[in-house]
Amino acid sequence: MSNLLNEVKAIFVKDIVTELRSKEVLPAMIVLGMLIVWVMRLVSEVGGINQSSMGVAAFWVALLFASLLAQERSFATEQHQDCINGLLLAPVDAGSIYIAKLLVNVTMVAIFQLIMTPIVIIAFKLKLAIGIGSLVGILLLANLSICGVGTLFSAIVQVSRIRGSLLSILVLTILLPVMMPATFALLICFDAIPAELVGTGALAMVGTLKTAVSYLIAFDVIFITASWLLFGFVVQE
Amino acid sequence: MRRLLLILSFIFLVSSVWFSLSYDGQCDPLYLNIIYLHVPSSICALLCFCIVLIGGIGYLATKKLSFDYLAAAAAEAGLIFATVLNATGCIFSKIAWNTWWTPSPRLITSAILWFLYIAYLILRSSIPATRKKAQICAVFGIIAFLDVPLVYISARLMPDIHKPNFSFDNPEQKLAFASGLIGTFLLASALIWLRYDVFQCQSKLQKHLL
Repeated sequence: MSNLLNEVKAIFVKDIVTELRSKEVLPAMIVLGMLIVWVMRLVSEVGGINQSSMGVAAFWVALLFASLLAQERSFATEQHQDCINGLLLAPVDAGSIYIAKLLVNVTMVAIFQLIMTPIVIIAFKLKLAIGIGSLVGILLLANLSICGVGTLFSAIVQVSRIRGSLLSILVLTILLPVMMPATFALLICFDAIPAELVGTGALAMVGTLKTAVSYLIAFDVIFITASWLLFGFVVQE
Repeated sequence: MRRLLLILSFIFLVSSVWFSLSYDGQCDPLYLNIIYLHVPSSICALLCFCIVLIGGIGYLATKKLSFDYLAAAAAEAGLIFATVLNATGCIFSKIAWNTWWTPSPRLITSAILWFLYIAYLILRSSIPATRKKAQICAVFGIIAFLDVPLVYISARLMPDIHKPNFSFDNPEQKLAFASGLIGTFLLASALIWLRYDVFQCQSKLQKHLL
């Protein structure tokens, strides 16, 4: 167990130090996120759309696309001068590489969420309806879902000819089931469920915050475990 | 044998249409006959995904390329049935609910199934090395299969206007449905078999050329 932790720590520190020195990913993520939020704010103003619902939608769109930037870089950097082969030749379990890369991506996306959440709240005049702890929990669970799948696919697309575009196709397709409960949970957090849907249909029956959060936890457990187990097959020659 | 399967599937599909049209029920309008193609297509699309999963696990366990060819053939056949499923669903939806598409759990699941097949095939076509392609596609096939039930559960957060169950009272209806189901299964088997053989031939040809 301590071996695994040491391996994960070594790769995690390497990637974080590289990012701190190069500053390639985080600034690009934040600028892209701000641009998406700004565009959607303008669109909602022009179209006269409900601000709170649009704010939640803008947040998820920004998060998804910005996280793709982080995920794309996480294995692309290892391709320079065949660093990936060095990493695979090291006496390190493939699962440890996955966990370390996952943690790096989660850290990047968490920093992004920390910066973007207040910006979205201010831009769309959102009001927090529940405790800040619940909001942090939901954001962290969504972060784990996005990065859990994205990290595996980032390794997958490295062998393909169309890396970046393929990553977005694969990740967005698989992540759709997370986006529905995550959006729903955030709508409850900001009390932004459209009035015409409150107390109707499935929302009245199963649409509680608890359901959405349990679903996010289930998705995280299933996909992170499956990705961790299958990662070795992706990177081995 | 493959030709026989294709002929049999054609006979069953035509007889399904014949049975459905010969039924002069008082309640069923003509558009409801789409169910004899729509439901078997949905079952076949899901079964093809099961074969993609089996092919993926088989390849990772044995490293035999025949499992990869099976998965690829099933994905291609599955895409055809998923397309038929969504197309017939859209036609039905427009007539029954006056909208081409609505975010109901089943409709979302069908759409995602289609996207998963497309993503699988794009991934396949973008990797040149045969062994690496087989390995990566096997992993994606497994991950994608895990996604299907989760999409369905998550879509439950939305209101559903899709009819969950259906039953037939008339023998003609039952015959039409059974014929449609058998015809679609036979067609799926024939298509998978055909594509599997094509992949095998391609592989032999490549080895011969090298």
